[in-house]
Amino acid sequence: MIYLRIFFTFLRIGFFGFGGGYAMVPLLRTATVGPHGWLTPPQFLASVALGQITPGPVAITATFVGFKAAGLAGAVVATLGMFLPSVLVIYLLSEFYHRHRHNRYLRGALEGVLPAVVGLIAAVAVGMGDVSINGVVPALLAAVVLLGALRLRSGYALLILGSAAAGALLLR
Amino acid sequence: MGSREEHRAVGHPVPLGELVRTFLWIGTVGFGGGYAVLDLIRTQLVERRRWLTSQQYDHVVSLAEMAPGALTVNVLAGAAYRLGGIGAMLAGTGALILPSFLIIVLCAGLYTAYAGAPVVQGALHGLEAAVVALMLVVAWELSRGIRPQAFQLGVGAVTFGAYLFLNVNPIFLLLAAGVAGAWRGGARR
Repeated sequence: MIYLRIFFTFLRIGFFGFGGGYAMVPLLRTATVGPHGWLTPPQFLASVALGQITPGPVAITATFVGFKAAGLAGAVVATLGMFLPSVLVIYLLSEFYHRHRHNRYLRGALEGVLPAVVGLIAAVAVGMGDVSINGVVPALLAAVVLLGALRLRSGYALLILGSAAAGALLLR
Repeated sequence: MGSREEHRAVGHPVPLGELVRTFLWIGTVGFGGGYAVLDLIRTQLVERRRWLTSQQYDHVVSLAEMAPGALTVNVLAGAAYRLGGIGAMLAGTGALILPSFLIIVLCAGLYTAYAGAPVVQGALHGLEAAVVALMLVVAWELSRGIRPQAFQLGVGAVTFGAYLFLNVNPIFLLLAAGVAGAWRGGARR
């Protein structure tokens, strides 16, 4: 049944999305694009881009994928699957973290996972860039956003909306 | 007596309706996600409403950073749990996600209808370029919290190459990195 498949796909991504919403993009790509996937590569890029222009977490990309796969009900189960692990793990950490925070295996595991997350995010950025940065205008746009985000420490909203507007004017 | 404000901040139950309204508002204006929104959350929960002390908030953030998933969702779920238990956590998380959910469903419907229009194609192409840049920024910001030792550099490089060139499943890569880290942690001392 497609709803169960959607739910468990996103539940798995939710549980392994260490490092925040962007860390889930590589997981989302592997799970949703491909011969048995729900999205084509351009649709996947669009879904991540749409996750950007909404307020709230980038992980809401899951909702878009669910919608494309199975309509409104698909969107609901994808969203539930994506965010349930957060709630569950936060509950467990709130209750048990104090007892285990000095455990050296746990600390070691986290020390190993973080560089892996960075490697994955960088890899998916390079992979996406290879497709979507295909000319002078996208390259300039990416450079402006890169510098802007490193400079303006708070709020990417302007950069995101600005790049959509610039694209609508210059890249059609 | 300055103690009145502190008194409110030490875990007294917050009215559920007020909590849900606050979370709905954060979910409506919190563009960009991640660290960009943490300032907004701190302003709301610590400075304006005084539901948490600064110390309690920092503790919640440190828990949230360890959990998988979107950072803003984790922070607010942790804060809500602290303020009102499991019920508040579920209601608050739902309220936080609802605005984005509705906008995305609307966007997905519009995308399906107008994906072919040149203006939409252009706007999405522009957004994609921005997303690539933002992901590099996120990778950079995260990497600054890592100690530049051979182990960490090696894990980062191997993961990068294995995903980009060999298409290895990222879940497997994360598990392998976690196991290697735990083994290394256990071998120390």
